[in-house]
Amino acid sequence: MTDELLIVDSLSAGYLGEDVVHDVSLTVAAGEVVAVIGSNGSGKSTMLQSVCGLLAPSGGSVRFDGVELAGVKAHRIARSGLVYVPAERHLFPHMSVRENLFLGAYPTRPSADQLGMVYRVFPRLEERTGQLAGTLSGGEQQMLAVGRALMAGPRLLILDEPSTGLSPILASEAYAALVELRRDGLTVLVAEQQVPLALDLADRGYVLDRGRIELTGTSSQLAADEGVQRAYLGV
Amino acid sequence: MTAVALDGIVLGLQFGILGVGLTLVYGLGGIVNLAHGQMAVLAAIVTARLIDSGSPAVVAAFVGVVAVSVLGVVLDLTLMRPVYRQQGEHRVLLGLLLMLGVGFVIDGLLEWRYPIEALSLRFQGDPIPVLGVAMRRGSLVASAISVAAGGVLVMLLRWTTFGRATRSVIQDETGARLCGINPAAVRTVVFGVSGALAGLVAITVAMTRPVVSTDGVNLTTFGLIVAVVGGLGSVPGAFLAGIILGVVNTISAFYIGSYVSTILLLLAAATTLLLRPRGLLGIG
Repeated sequence: MTDELLIVDSLSAGYLGEDVVHDVSLTVAAGEVVAVIGSNGSGKSTMLQSVCGLLAPSGGSVRFDGVELAGVKAHRIARSGLVYVPAERHLFPHMSVRENLFLGAYPTRPSADQLGMVYRVFPRLEERTGQLAGTLSGGEQQMLAVGRALMAGPRLLILDEPSTGLSPILASEAYAALVELRRDGLTVLVAEQQVPLALDLADRGYVLDRGRIELTGTSSQLAADEGVQRAYLGV
Repeated sequence: MTAVALDGIVLGLQFGILGVGLTLVYGLGGIVNLAHGQMAVLAAIVTARLIDSGSPAVVAAFVGVVAVSVLGVVLDLTLMRPVYRQQGEHRVLLGLLLMLGVGFVIDGLLEWRYPIEALSLRFQGDPIPVLGVAMRRGSLVASAISVAAGGVLVMLLRWTTFGRATRSVIQDETGARLCGINPAAVRTVVFGVSGALAGLVAITVAMTRPVVSTDGVNLTTFGLIVAVVGGLGSVPGAFLAGIILGVVNTISAFYIGSYVSTILLLLAAATTLLLRPRGLLGIG
């Protein structure tokens, strides 16, 4: 398999010497949308944080486009094109929408085209361009977090729980925007506990339970799985 | 009264620059630079020594400012490394103690080697009337330098990519890293800028009164009060607090006495914090 953009191999990670993620392996090919589903506390965020460099993995390897990322600093990973959108968003609250987007393109000064591209996906952000990020609604903040990540021109976009803190309607809207990005060929790895949303978007998925991959398959296989249905789909 | 107020503004602008240097370093990395005033005095003494040995004042002042700026960078890259590895309260306390030590060392060295050295920069020529008050040229040049330095700094922070990156690290360090910004590099550069600002304060103070080798502690105290009142991490807050406190200090020193005026300054700071715990324009 030569076109795998991200290869996570036997990754373990945790806090204060206590692993929360055990021996996780997964891959994402260029152009693919892959979901990691699991309930709250299953280790999704920990796993993603150790992929993007915010957390040092305790074991295993993460290769992005053939380059080992374990031990590489988060800002270097971001600049190499692996861009992470955390569930807490980590926007700059006292800066305008526009300035937040500008920083997404750091260290270059973004072109009007780049801004225009993000504003096409999220017209709402253009309306709010001068508003301080801290005063945006939850849905708008999520748009801005994804928009800021898009400004970097990511080769792989990693989203942690984009539905966090959003009403069902807003969560669906957020996912509608992701469907649009997917159509443009963006490669996405998304962790989500709102399983129906994630499986609608993704080509394939992994089920993470208590820090281990329990199941993997195409989205339709997972949606048809009895265990998944019972645990996450409320069937 | 107008004359006292104008003198207050002259002092306030210097206070503002002093507070800005402290507030930037604190906002970025949680370091309370208790050697800030001593670094300022070091720049003054370097400048004075160079003038004594025949350098033109402008060149000497430039070298003095650059020397302290370099000291800031070196401190960030060496002594502050273990501090940045700590988190939260531990980081603040360790940084505070180490910089207190640096302050003692600078104070001790200056008092030992150059106990009677002082920097005094005089300008020839008659006073210039401002709002009916004859202002000394030194005061006007000092204020012009302070305003220019503050203005340039605000513009750099507001409109350049690096300035934006600096503010982003102050507001959300994790967010900044995810945007590809290296907080350590930003901190190093800003520590250097902060050192240069400290040096600039000493140079401007020397235009209004002599700066002596024991002035460090006082300058650190004033800078700290200004930074806290302005809201740690807020550059506009530090400027505003600097001007207000400069005027308060000068008026009370004129009508009551300079010892009491320092107490009044501390009272003003304490009151501000009681009314607005995050300072005048505090963020977060």
